[in-house]
Amino acid sequence: MRIVVPIKQVPETKSVKMDEKTGTVIREGVESIINPLDLYAIEIAVQLKESNGGEVIAVSMGPPKAIDALKEAIAMGVDSAVLVSDRAFAGSDTWATSYVLAEAIRKIGEYDLIICGERATDGDTGQVGPEIAAYLQLPVLSYVNKVCGTKDGDISVHRLVEEGSEILESEMPCLLTVVKEVSDPRLPTLRGKQKARKAVIPVFGIKELDLDPRKVGLAGSPTKVVKIFRPKVARECEKIIARDEEKIKEAAGKLEAFLKKKEIL
Amino acid sequence: MTKYNPVTDKTVDELKKIVGEKYVIFKDTEKLEPYSHDEIPGKDYAHMPEVVVRPRTKEEISSIMKLANREMIPVTPRGAGSGLSGGAVPIKGGIVLSVDRMNSILEIDRENLMIVVEPGVIANEINESIREFGLFYAGYPMSLETCFIGGNVAENAGGGKAVKYGVTSRYVLGLETVMPTGEIVEFGGKLVKDVTGYNMVQLMIGSEGTLGLFTKIVLKLVPLPKAQVDLLCLFKSSEEAIATVPKIMTTAGITPTSIEYMDKDSVQAACQYLNENIPYQKAGAMLLITVDGSDKEQVEKDYELVGELCIREGAIEVYVADNPTTSERIWKVRRNIPEAFSVFSKRQSGEDIVVPPASIPKIVIEFKKLSEKFGVVIPCYGHAGDGNLHSRISPPPDWTDKKWKETLPLILEELYKVTASLGGRISGEHGIGHKRKKYMRTVVSEEYMNVIKTIKKALDPNYILNPGKIFDL
Repeated sequence: MRIVVPIKQVPETKSVKMDEKTGTVIREGVESIINPLDLYAIEIAVQLKESNGGEVIAVSMGPPKAIDALKEAIAMGVDSAVLVSDRAFAGSDTWATSYVLAEAIRKIGEYDLIICGERATDGDTGQVGPEIAAYLQLPVLSYVNKVCGTKDGDISVHRLVEEGSEILESEMPCLLTVVKEVSDPRLPTLRGKQKARKAVIPVFGIKELDLDPRKVGLAGSPTKVVKIFRPKVARECEKIIARDEEKIKEAAGKLEAFLKKKEIL
Repeated sequence: MTKYNPVTDKTVDELKKIVGEKYVIFKDTEKLEPYSHDEIPGKDYAHMPEVVVRPRTKEEISSIMKLANREMIPVTPRGAGSGLSGGAVPIKGGIVLSVDRMNSILEIDRENLMIVVEPGVIANEINESIREFGLFYAGYPMSLETCFIGGNVAENAGGGKAVKYGVTSRYVLGLETVMPTGEIVEFGGKLVKDVTGYNMVQLMIGSEGTLGLFTKIVLKLVPLPKAQVDLLCLFKSSEEAIATVPKIMTTAGITPTSIEYMDKDSVQAACQYLNENIPYQKAGAMLLITVDGSDKEQVEKDYELVGELCIREGAIEVYVADNPTTSERIWKVRRNIPEAFSVFSKRQSGEDIVVPPASIPKIVIEFKKLSEKFGVVIPCYGHAGDGNLHSRISPPPDWTDKKWKETLPLILEELYKVTASLGGRISGEHGIGHKRKKYMRTVVSEEYMNVIKTIKKALDPNYILNPGKIFDL
């Protein structure tokens, strides 16, 4: 079984600071990590490889630094990795990113599964996974919270929905986007780290992938960021304190009136 | 026995005049209660204060001490209340003096690599304030997100990084101190060397609030390490894990930032509590080893050496965390052990013994013997690399409170005697407070007790400041 796992390197959210004036993220001095939700995709991919045999290939689009994320994936049990990196890709939105990643996956060759994390913690769109599937014309099984197994070229999974889960079956190849419940990511090991340090990670750029420059980067991105601002949250608090029975009744009345005024009741 | 006077309305009025009406808590049980205990689980060591004052300046503290001496009212200083030996508990009632309002960072001195702070600054805030300058304060304990630096100095707090960086005392260079009788005195200063008179700074550090109240603290800073890697090493048995500890420094020749030991019970409790899925069931014990340095490649080489040593010594797996997310996941296990035990068992005695680092394997065996002899659970965890081991002695669920209260002192007596025979002491970093004072003589001589009591009597003739701690007069 050959599984491709697209991952993203993101800033560590706890240490992220915002530039108050421009509303953008200050990236200097911020540690970069594998998108936390991608760890679940890596874990389930490695588990599937362990039970079915085969290989797991991680692919990441980003600056040269993203190689660290790919090495971490190898330390967790991924077999090999590909970095997709080119100055021309800078400014790509989810549409252009999916296009580039889809082409990179095509170049990687035959595969049975593509497993993505549900979304990245920085952009928070959840679009790239399904869009890769669209480019590659693959079935999408999204919000997967359990992989039941594979049989005769089919895969069976549970999809998390509001009221519970749905059981889905699809032929492979197909693309899964997974949620946290699907697995518990393992920790990278010493042996894994040593393997990762030695790993040779090929870099695919615009030339290697033979892409149309008009379809990548800012030029290929229909999404335009017009303005970034902080939504204003105004909290109007009213404290009602009641310690004896009479006061509690009175307080309940006040609370009712307050909620009615706010059109909550 | 010293006879103290109760706090009267008149005294309270005077206190209000000193610090302002807003900053005195009196006759309000609900508001006084939080000042009656520290973080020792349960209420065995708690005691209500009569009044709480929250001064802002050294002059106010000085006036409070003079008033207390005049009226013969005991004063118990209090930081964040995150202690584990009852140091901040007003066991004689009287006044609790909280330094929570004295929480300013007064100066970041980048030329001298020093910082001047007030006692109510939270330990972690110090590092937050100097990170951008590439500086680091290394003396903080595990409770860094809540504890006050004043309390750290008073208890000479240690922590996870002590193997390499030592404890609080290594970093305190100066202390502005209000003496028990109210005089304001400067000890030390921004000096790396200073033999002018007695080394009063070091006497004050770890005096558990019995010799003086710190109003200004000068701390030494070090360059912030640029790279840090944590290893979580799973061993089949506690013997293998603990035997590896001294070899990390002697065989591998590396001084890690920390070496934390966690036995099977500790790891299981914490992992279950956190829903952590590392294969802890396979492990008889774990070591958490941190290496840091100014050079990333050197740190890589160091952790590889340590990791390989652990595998040679029988580790079944070595996990590597070199980014904040993974590191936090690993450290969470270690940090949540006390909390996890509190959830599983309400009755427990948190111990903090310290022995010469090479004696750690021996003391772990003694813990096992005691556990079997008395039929109690004694999970062990702690800083291992510096010889300081924590344990939580817990009774089986069917023991009555009476049986527990009768047996615990017998267990402690034996534990401390064994500790003493190895050249150890009964507390490495939590302090004596009133929790351990009756056991002092198991590890120190009568003559030693006389010396420290003489010092106390000389500096606090009326026995006003934090009485009933470390010893009784």
